[in-house]
Amino acid sequence: MMVRGPKGHAGLGGGTDLPVLLPAAERLQRRSERERLLGAPRLRLRGRDLAWLCLMLICFTGYAEAQAAAAGREPISIALLRWVPLLFQGFVFNIVISVLSMALGTVLGVVLGLMQISLLPPIRFSSWFVTQFFRNAPWLVLLFYCIFLLPFEIRAFGMRIPFPDWIKAIIGLSLPVMANVSEIVRGAVRSIPSGQWEAAESLAFNRNQTIWKIILPQCVKRMLPPWMNLYAILTMATVLASIVGVSEVMTLARRVLAAEVRNDLLIPLYGMILVWFFVYCYPIARLTQWLERRYAVKL
Amino acid sequence: MLRTTVSVTALALGCLLVGAPEAQADVMEAIKERGTIVVGIRADYRPYGYLGPNGENIGIEPTLARDVAERLGVDYEFVPVVAANRMEFLQQGRIDLMIATMTDTAERRRVVNIVEPNYYSSGTNLLARKGIGVSAWEDLRDRPICAIQGAFYNRKTQEEFGANLIAFTGTAEVLTALQQGRCQAFVYDDSFIQARLQEPEWADYEMPVETIDDAPWGLAVAHGEDNFYAFMSEVIEDWHRTGKIIALEEEYGVDPIPFTRRMHEEFSAN
Repeated sequence: MMVRGPKGHAGLGGGTDLPVLLPAAERLQRRSERERLLGAPRLRLRGRDLAWLCLMLICFTGYAEAQAAAAGREPISIALLRWVPLLFQGFVFNIVISVLSMALGTVLGVVLGLMQISLLPPIRFSSWFVTQFFRNAPWLVLLFYCIFLLPFEIRAFGMRIPFPDWIKAIIGLSLPVMANVSEIVRGAVRSIPSGQWEAAESLAFNRNQTIWKIILPQCVKRMLPPWMNLYAILTMATVLASIVGVSEVMTLARRVLAAEVRNDLLIPLYGMILVWFFVYCYPIARLTQWLERRYAVKL
Repeated sequence: MLRTTVSVTALALGCLLVGAPEAQADVMEAIKERGTIVVGIRADYRPYGYLGPNGENIGIEPTLARDVAERLGVDYEFVPVVAANRMEFLQQGRIDLMIATMTDTAERRRVVNIVEPNYYSSGTNLLARKGIGVSAWEDLRDRPICAIQGAFYNRKTQEEFGANLIAFTGTAEVLTALQQGRCQAFVYDDSFIQARLQEPEWADYEMPVETIDDAPWGLAVAHGEDNFYAFMSEVIEDWHRTGKIIALEEEYGVDPIPFTRRMHEEFSAN
């Protein structure tokens, strides 16, 4: 027998007659509605999760601290604090890399995405190919290509313009971003009901005007959540640059560990970096969810 | 399409610039003109090259590099390198000089110009828990052994002694893996292992086998830089004569190794 809720929705979390469950039922119902729209259960991160993560790390550090004290060594927290300024600089560098490659990737991706909806088949096909190629290539492989194929300096007109690794890393990371943004743009344009195109045409807008004045403004809010999602993923991927020798936070962490020559620092140190990334990416994830809710298409 | 054209052009341009032979006649001239010498050093190998809390490069080799800059009357710039990329950087011309704990081997001499005389030396040994039943290199067969990526003895350990090699990028990862029992021994430079064995944490561990491949370390310049080679050669001789390297070993808490003592005696005698 089906349980009918106050609003007549059926199924799990869809409502209840039991007064004590009413507040939760409302929330669960909203959630299951969203999940039905999404077609998949959504991962929900809460402030609680961060608290758990921190608690775990504090416990572990405390345990390692006690061991260090027993072995008559310098406490871990002091050793760690000494390196925090340096490591934090490295972390800021990661953020800089992520922001710049996102900016570059977005500009290129929007161009590529608009090319994908071009009426000219060669442009449409070639941009489709580039998009698919970079979207389906491993990020690290692209990074390797950029680091080792691009020169370390450019000699032009008798000048030496250095071309440091971190700029190459930005270029390398912006390629997959470009391809993903291209798909986001194409998808958003395609999601606008065809009635909009037809209406614009009947009002004598040409194609250019239709795209820039009618379609794209409606796309922006649809593109924002996936774009922010992509940014969060990119931020977490910036640590890949450590493999190709950019002095970002992971590279520095490894050097710090080598300078300290004590391996009980390993897990607290990496744990600290983990928390930094979480603290940075979590608000972005929350904001994305909020925007998704706000801009959700009401059917 | 624009994108493809641009990226293809960029890549082609890149290949052209990387592939082009060095147009500069002499790196010494280039260094003086620039006013800076770019030195490849290690930033992850205490005490030879590591980071200070403010991010500055310290250690025996950065000090030697600073000395070279001083002798040339120029500034210095450090580029941290690892075993896997140091020779490529020198070949590309990204660094002018490499002082990066590199063992002098015939294979490497073909790639870069290793300056004589050598400035340091180390051998290969194992760090293993006592009582695991390894007393000779041949006992490593089919055992999981930790190593550092890019070390020249990795191949030998794997092919000749038949060990299952697990290679990491940094020593901290290896030491953790060793303590967790993911591998039974760590094959590395004996100077590093000796330093660990003096710490109470490693009291249960030992160097169970004889040191092999005791080979000198060489600093290197790019092939074809004969002037710079001659200059560096004199600098190293002077380091040995004045006992600078021994003094640095003492400063950084290493017992002076037999090699540096022998070189000091040899060069100060004549």
